[in-house]
Amino acid sequence: MNRITPSNHLNSGLKSTAKGLFIFTGIWVASVALLTFGPKVWWEYHVLTTLLVIALNLLTGAMMLFAFFRHLKSMDELQRQTHLEAMALTLGITMIFTVVYGSLPTAQLLADTHPTNILFVMGITYMLAVMRIWISRTSE
Amino acid sequence: MKNRLKVLRAEHDWTQADLAAQLNVTRQTVNAIEKGKYDPSLPLAFKIAGVFQMPIDHIFFPKDGA
Repeated sequence: MNRITPSNHLNSGLKSTAKGLFIFTGIWVASVALLTFGPKVWWEYHVLTTLLVIALNLLTGAMMLFAFFRHLKSMDELQRQTHLEAMALTLGITMIFTVVYGSLPTAQLLADTHPTNILFVMGITYMLAVMRIWISRTSE
Repeated sequence: MKNRLKVLRAEHDWTQADLAAQLNVTRQTVNAIEKGKYDPSLPLAFKIAGVFQMPIDHIFFPKDGA
């Protein structure tokens, strides 16, 4: 019997990039918190400080994005295709939701809208889409 | 696309995990290919052919048999 020793190459690559993504996402979330609460709590709306924190937020956002692409590239092709299909579905659903949600104040069904709600829809849709597509492809 | 992956794997007495390790993909990917739920990319198909040391069209063939 020619039994093969499983290689951990793929798994170790995935773990490493997932760890990077987790760290950079954490840093980005911290910079968002700093930008949200900092002007009022820490530096009393000092314009230059706020601009610097905005620059920091954009930089950490870009780093998080690069970490995500590294993670995507470390996946095998079925995992990558699953995520890309989930992203396409998320883009479509978010676009439809944004148009409807944005029209609610005009129709006087909502007093005002919050952009962060769109992020929630995006995140939840992406998570459910990945799970649904992955299960449909890999169910035994 | 249909394939003979499961039969060939059984002939070599390999588990899905064994084959996945050689191809550097997940076991789920091997399972999805075997069940016809996922068609591999051309590079992966060639890699599979290389592992079994046979031409690619001896492993993969169209569903209508053409």
